Formats: sequence, structure tokens, C-alpha cells
Amino acid sequence: MTISTEIANTIVDPTAYADGDRVDQAFAQLRREAPLEVAQPDGFDPFWVVTRHADILEVERQNELFHNGDRATVITTIEADKKVREMMGGSPHLVRSLVQMDNPDHFAYRKITQGSLLPQNLKALEARIREIARGFIDRMAEHGDRCDFARDVAFLYPLHVIMEVLGVPESDEPRMLKLTQELFGNADPDLNRTGKSITDAGEGVDSIQSVVMDFMMYFNAITEDRRAKPRDDLASLIANGKINGEPMGHLEAMSYYIIAATAGHDTTSSTTAGALWALAENPDQFARVKADPSLIPGLIEESIRWVTPVKHFMRTATADAELAGKKIAKGDWMMLSYPSGNRDEAVFDDPFSFKVDRTPNKHVAFGYGAHICLGQHLARMEMRVLWEELFARLDSVELDGTPTRMTANFVCGPKSVPIRFKMH
Amino acid sequence: MSAEPFKVWQCRTCGYIYDEEQGDPGEGLAPGTRWADIPAGWVCPLCGTPKSDFDMIEL
Repeated sequence: MTISTEIANTIVDPTAYADGDRVDQAFAQLRREAPLEVAQPDGFDPFWVVTRHADILEVERQNELFHNGDRATVITTIEADKKVREMMGGSPHLVRSLVQMDNPDHFAYRKITQGSLLPQNLKALEARIREIARGFIDRMAEHGDRCDFARDVAFLYPLHVIMEVLGVPESDEPRMLKLTQELFGNADPDLNRTGKSITDAGEGVDSIQSVVMDFMMYFNAITEDRRAKPRDDLASLIANGKINGEPMGHLEAMSYYIIAATAGHDTTSSTTAGALWALAENPDQFARVKADPSLIPGLIEESIRWVTPVKHFMRTATADAELAGKKIAKGDWMMLSYPSGNRDEAVFDDPFSFKVDRTPNKHVAFGYGAHICLGQHLARMEMRVLWEELFARLDSVELDGTPTRMTANFVCGPKSVPIRFKMH
Repeated sequence: MSAEPFKVWQCRTCGYIYDEEQGDPGEGLAPGTRWADIPAGWVCPLCGTPKSDFDMIEL
């Protein structure tokens, strides 16, 4: 069976992800009828849509057979791909971060920061992160009994944490948030740089490229500073990181900062905002965590599964291969759909219900294999600390209006979560 | 029962920690399961890295 153009168009449509149900229904239909087939939305090259949890693991596990960097790592129109390659001397990537790398580079570059993001090394940050979380909860209390939890808390807390870890001054945080939202919200007129719907692929690439250039100008100055005066921060690790004994390339260093300064908070923000949205809609689940804080780790994993802030990554087959009985040809492009894997009925009972005690909860929201999210332990710790502090003071929460999601098909989540709450 | 102190192992790829004393019951590894007793074909439950790519660490 082939995937209908209607479904193919839906799974790349940013407005379908903003709607939520529309994209969930499309993937549910694919899991039932065409779990691993080729889609060709209007204006795109054909690609395999990997919808099942087990198939996503199988692809991510085989890093040599399924490369990240050979083609665009994010779903891209033919026209946009052509424009990027013209701008980048044939490369399909505007940046070259860990996401666009394969081995041996991926391993070498990842090693530069991986140690500092392991659980045993993050422990030293916990007291400071708790202090930051308490500050945001105090500010939430100052709002009275109403706030927009996404904008007033969830977007700002992980931003502040990662910027401290990275070594960016607090005064620059609004700028980093704006650039991040312009990058990931490029299709959202409320967030992008143009302030309008972008329908022209070339205009979309120009808009992203201008955001990337702003990031690069900013982090260029940080690099110079940290090379001259290294500090105990992530920026110093990147600035002074060596690959085969040589300083890392300019594009690679800039890309490293950009991924830390964007994915390092936006995904945690989306998950945090989506968690409170889900708790407000499921008062029984809120009551359970309130009564038993030992459920907080379960709440965190379920929130990550529920929101799945990274919607997909693309892979490219490096050789002819077989996957779940299908013949994949060398060069084929493949979309790993994380929201679909995280709603896979074969793995998750009642996958469209939010259950803080879901066990096991082996979601694929952080990916799997060598490219698994570098910041996963920091993200979990940030959320654990926030929920420990918030549940100690929050007595009740309910929605105070209709939440909205970003219009985007790559990294996205809630845009607004208006709530009414009681806190002591 | 072995008198040897329990050890802690960590996945080089993703940082998953296996503590012999606690085991990982969710993965079918009972508390007290020694690293040497875990089958060679076992992979990291977080990222799929093979057992051979784990390091013993001090916590």
C-alpha cells in the first residue's frame, strides 16, 4: 500500500502539528494500514515514514547503515533543499552540529561535552537549579491565581538553566529565547522573523539563515572570550574543544553552541508546559502526584512521551537494506516519527491517555542509539526539581482558556497554557 | 553469596547507570545481579549500546 497524498501532506504540515489531533489521527491510520511505506507530499522528495516504535529503534541502532548527515536531517521541500545546497556549497545543512554528523566525527565531537552532562557530574548543579526553580515558582505565585504557565514559567526556567550552564549572561536570555522561537517557529507567524505565514520555500530558508547568522555573530564573540579566558562552563568546553588535536572548525563550533542554546531549553520547556496542560485536564493524575511525590519520575517520563517535542529526524540509507520486510534502497530518505512511535499501540497500552504511573514507559522521545539526546539527564533533573518544588506549593490547577501549540513540524510544543491555580 | 562489593557500570553512549546492588527489575535484572552474570548480548535499555561499551565507574 502507498501513502495517500492527503496523509503525506498532513504529516509534514506544520498546522497539523498545531492542531494535534489531526497529526495523531494521520499517524494512527498509518500504524494500522501502512506502518512503513513511502510518502511523497506535494513539493517533497519521496521518503519512508517509519511509524512503529520497534522500527524506529532498529533504524537508530544502526548508525552506519542509516546516516544522519547524507541528506537533510529535517524534512525539507525540494526547493528549500536546492536553495540550502546552493548557499552551503553542496551541503544540505545550514549548520553542522552533532545532529548532522556521523562517525567518526559524531563520536569525537560528542565526547567534548558528554562527560559534563552525565548524571554524576550534574549532581553538582542540583542545588543551584533548585534555587532557580524556586525563584520561578515565587514569580508564578506573584501572578495571583492566574498565569500563562507556558510563557510565564515553562519557557523561562529551562532557558535560564541552560544559559547558566552554557555561560550566557542573564541579560541575553530574552534574545536567546527570541532567536530559538524564530528558528523552531519559522512556520508560525506569531513566532517567526517575518511575522507572517511563510509559503515560499526560498523565503523560509532565508528566514532561518538570518536567525542562524545572528546566533553565529553572538557566539563568535563568546568563543573569542572563552579562548582568552576559559571558565567553568559549556561555552569554554566548546571554544577550547579539540578534534584530533586541532581546534574544532568554525561552523562546527558555532553549530555546537546553537544546538545547546536552542534544543537545550526549548524541548524541556515544551515538555514542562505540556505536562501541566495534561495535569490540568486530568485532575485525577494531578491528585495522585500531589498525594505521592514518588510518582514525579513517572510524571516526567509520561510528559516526555506525551509531548514528544522533537517530532522527527530524517535518516538516509547508506546501503540497500531490509527493514520490517521492506526493501530500503541505498540513498533512501527516512522519516523517524517520534510522536507516532510514542503512541504505538503495540508498545503502549491506551497510548492516548496520560498516566503518571505508566510502566514501562520506554518512549523514544530522546531518540535511541548513538544520537540519543545529549542533554537528557539535565532535562530530567530540571523537570524533577521543578515538580518537587511546585507540587510542594500547588494545591490545584485548571485550564483558564484554550491552550495552543506552535505551528511547526520539527521541534515544537505548547505555545500558550493559560491556567487558574491555588498555591500556598 | 559473593562478598565482593557491588559495582556500578555506566553506558559510554548515553550515561545509563547499572548498579549491581539495585539491579534493574524493569529490565528483568534482579537486585544483586552481577555485571558478569548479564548476558553478553544484553544492550543498554536507554540507547541500545552493547554491554562491551560500558565502563565501571565510582559514584
